[in-house]
Amino acid sequence: MALLKSLSIRNIFSITHRAAVSSLRNYTTPAVAEDDDSPVDIVNPYKKERRQCILCKLNITPDYKNYRLLSQFQSPYTGRIYGRHITGLCKAKQALVESEISKAQNCAYLPYYYKDKAFLKDPKLFDPENPIRSHRF
Amino acid sequence: MPTYELALMLRTMPKPELKTTLTRISHAIFNSGGIIRNIENLGFRAMPYKTSSHSVVHREANYFVFKIDTATQAVADLKEEYSRDVDIIRQRVYKVQEKADHKCTLEEELLPAAYREDVQKMIELGKTQVNRFTYKFKYNSGLDYYPFQK
Repeated sequence: MALLKSLSIRNIFSITHRAAVSSLRNYTTPAVAEDDDSPVDIVNPYKKERRQCILCKLNITPDYKNYRLLSQFQSPYTGRIYGRHITGLCKAKQALVESEISKAQNCAYLPYYYKDKAFLKDPKLFDPENPIRSHRF
Repeated sequence: MPTYELALMLRTMPKPELKTTLTRISHAIFNSGGIIRNIENLGFRAMPYKTSSHSVVHREANYFVFKIDTATQAVADLKEEYSRDVDIIRQRVYKVQEKADHKCTLEEELLPAAYREDVQKMIELGKTQVNRFTYKFKYNSGLDYYPFQK
């Protein structure tokens, strides 16, 4: 009985497989000559998507008045700005973040040597323990 | 006239007084031939560090941002005038940056070092210069003596 069952299943499989293959063939071959076996010029389907930094992806321009966002790029222990190898920002955005943080600190929106207690539980944009490039420390 | 942002920290004071202070500040702008685009109130809150101005220590401030259009020469005069104002604890003027159309270059920055453009430039620069680690003085340089100390 079991043997019969497996046989029948295999039969069905082979039939469906053949059908699928034939349909695929019909689909893939365009109206151009079928016997032409030259490679087809198509866009690389395995090409990876272009990576973007988080600020470019969300289209955010850092501003010194938005000090809550800027405080996320500060260390909670020392208030220092995390480097590009940790934040994962592109060069231009990192430079902008750094200049805006120094502006905000100058305007007394942000502290210099610590992070505001109210912002300590903000979501983490990156993990300082796992930098993109290795630490010096 | 370029657009500037005037970030002001005002001392703790009751509302009517704050109103007169703000009108005084804006009149100074108008008198110097400027216009105010908008005024933002960022609220009254504790400053992250204490600030002493006009021999008084302040720990809280009213935060205001004025977006103004004035002549560049007038900015220094405004700053000087505000520095004499006892109600203003701290003031900063920043030029408003225009929105730059910028494309993310993270993909190029994450390439291995040999493929990065800035590294390739450094290598090219290095090739044009004398490598001081491999440089050796040539004795057939026309001099009949070794010019340096041995």
